This record gives sequence, C-alpha cells and structure tokens, in this order.
Amino acid sequence: MTSDAPVASGVESLYPFLYAGTSDLAPVLAAVRRSTVEKATEIVALRETMAQRYAGQLAGCAHALAVAFAGGGRLFTFGNGGSSTDAQAVAQLFLDPEPGTRALPAVALTGDVAVLTALANDVGFEVVFARQLAAFGRRGDIAVGLSTSGGSANVLRGFEEASRRGMVTVGFAGYDGGRMAAAGTIEHLFVVPSSSVHRIQEVQTTTYHVLWELTQHALADL
Amino acid sequence: MALDLQSAAAVAAFARRVPAAAAVADDAARVATACHDMAVRFHRGGKLLVFGTGAAATDAQHLAVEFVHPVIVGKRALPAVSLTNDVATLTGVAARDGVGEAFARQLQLLGDPADIALGVSADADSPSVLRGLQVAHERGLLTVALAGGHAGAIAHSPAVDHAFVARSEDALVVKEVHVTTYHVLWELVHVFFEHPNLLDETVPA
Repeated sequence: MTSDAPVASGVESLYPFLYAGTSDLAPVLAAVRRSTVEKATEIVALRETMAQRYAGQLAGCAHALAVAFAGGGRLFTFGNGGSSTDAQAVAQLFLDPEPGTRALPAVALTGDVAVLTALANDVGFEVVFARQLAAFGRRGDIAVGLSTSGGSANVLRGFEEASRRGMVTVGFAGYDGGRMAAAGTIEHLFVVPSSSVHRIQEVQTTTYHVLWELTQHALADL
Repeated sequence: MALDLQSAAAVAAFARRVPAAAAVADDAARVATACHDMAVRFHRGGKLLVFGTGAAATDAQHLAVEFVHPVIVGKRALPAVSLTNDVATLTGVAARDGVGEAFARQLQLLGDPADIALGVSADADSPSVLRGLQVAHERGLLTVALAGGHAGAIAHSPAVDHAFVARSEDALVVKEVHVTTYHVLWELVHVFFEHPNLLDETVPA
C-alpha cells in the first residue's frame, strides 16, 4: 500500500509507523519486532501496578474464598467471548490443579451450549448466567464474573442474582471498572487500569492465578 | 496465614512473573516472521485450526474468537476454529483411538494445505498436541506451537515451523505468556494486510 493510507483507527492509531506506506518486507518486519518489544514492556508495568494496588484485597478475597470452600461452597464462573475462556480457565484451575494442590468444586457457566442457547432463545442473552446461578447457586457459594469493559449486561445480571442469593462475589474488570464498579453487587472487584482489551485480559489472567495461589495458602491455614 | 503475610505473598507472586513476561521481547523477531507467514496463509484463503488440552483448551478457544471476532473495530474477521469444542467428536475419538489422536484425527479431515495449525502446550510435551502438529505438517499446513517449561518435544519437533517457548517451569506463568503471545500474533498479522504486496507468494519470507 503506497498511496491509499488507511484511516487512522485501532491498531493504526497506536502504531502509525506501521502504516506509513512501506512496501518492502524488511522495514515492516522491523516495525513488528519493535511493537512486540513495546507490548512486553507494557505488560510488565501493568502487572506491577496491579500488585501494588490489589495485594491486600487479593489476600482478603482469598480468605473469603477459603472460608466458603471450607463450608462446602462451590465456585461458579462466567464471562463472554475471550472472558468466557477465562471463566473456563478459572474453573479448570480450581477443579483440576496440578498434583500436590487441593482440588476444589468449580463449574464454568459457559460450558453447556444447550443451556446457554435455550436461555438465550427463550428469554434473552442477558439472563444466561443469572438463570443458571438461580438454579445452582446457594448461600456460601462463590460467583466469579469477568468482563473487560465492566459493562456486560449478562455478567451484571449474574452478579445481581449471586448477591441476592448470598454468594461470595468476585469480579474482574478493566478500564475504570465500568458498571461493575458502580453496581454494588460485587464484594471483591479487581480492575485492571488499562484501555487495551488485550492487556486487560493478560493481567486478569495473572490476577486470577495469584488469587488461586493465595486461596490454596489460605485453605491450608484455616 | 495472616493477611499481611498473604499480601506479601501476592506481591511476590506478581514479581515472579516478570522475567518470563519480559522475555517475550526476545521473541520479537520470531513473532514478526510467524505473523508474516500466517498472513500469507490467510491471504491464500487458509484458515487457522487451534488446539490444546486442559487449560490450553481455553487458550485455543480464546485464540479462535480473537481472529473470528476482533476486539478492534474495523479489523477483518479471519477464519479460525478451535478443535476443542466438539465434545461428541473429542470423546468419540478418545474412547476409540485414545486421547492422543483427538486433534490429529480432526486435522486429517478438516485441515487443508493452505491452513495454519496452532498447538498450545504449557509443558511442551502434550502427546495429542504434538501428534496434531505432526499430522498438520505432513499435510502441508503451516505449524505454530506455543510451548513452555523445559522446551520439550514440541519445541524441538521438525514438524513445527514456528515455536514460541515461554521461559518458565510454572504452567500458570507459561499460560500468561501465551496469552500475551497470541494477542500479539493476532494484532501483528493484521499489519501485513496493510501491505498486500508483501503477501504475494513469490516474496521470500
């Protein structure tokens, strides 16, 4: 592309040097290399910010989860898109961790396509998690919801239901926390202060991994 | 354990990630070459087939949705399928031929020579992921692996065109590095679409 410069948006606005009309491979490869290095630097800094901001709240949340599990509670996870894969990763980590750690009951609410499509078709997509929590959730269970924007309607509805049922509520969001920060239904909320969906997801992954590790410690010390 | 000790443990846990996360920068040249090769395949009409077991199955699904439904408005949707979704096929193959064939069998039937096969394995030893990459390579697909730990069989396999090995023995840290790596792969594949002259098959990679 030499004459029709694309309208600056998305990636282009972040990396204008990549869209300068280069026609040879070498400079594009060099620019792509630089972009990777910049992202590696960015993600290290963002995790450092999270550690400073949330270490104490992660400790408190891990204690609450340990108490819930010790009392027979189960973990339910939910999210949309990439966050649905995180919901499944959280459930898998608690349920099937590496040998030598304690396996705990956990279910991802995104796994059953029959239930998801039945609820979405018959009622609406905003209830797909809330209705499952109404069916499965009990006081003392745990609800973990993830959204990069903090504004997913079905995640917010899920937290409303979980809170109403007396579950321990744990949220992961990005940007400024969005509606999840204002909802009043999430006891433990971890907000990744970034506007990049990708960096938010990467730091959320680390944050739930650390939360799992601390929960294992907390269970051992109860 | 008192809460202040747990807070310190949290800080230490985040700090433990830094070397592996920073080391992604060392792979920058490999990332650039892989993105170019992947863009060429998409340009030729190929699709992306992704697979992994356990936690890596969630990464396979994350990768697929990343390409099919981009988070950045205006980026084109690219064909990508996770081979972890069809529970009937997965359990059928596993029961009949063993779990090691779970992805290879699907790649034999769904993989076209223009496609890209991307396998994810936190320990680089997953037999089913390795088998999948070998079958894909035999069929002429471009093969990409996200591995970790001690850089096991997958990282050294001659069937793998591009291997990215996270520098950690901790499977959780490896997964985190993989998430960053595939986000970067997705984003930078699109850079090459802005330079269609670089996607001509006659251009040497």
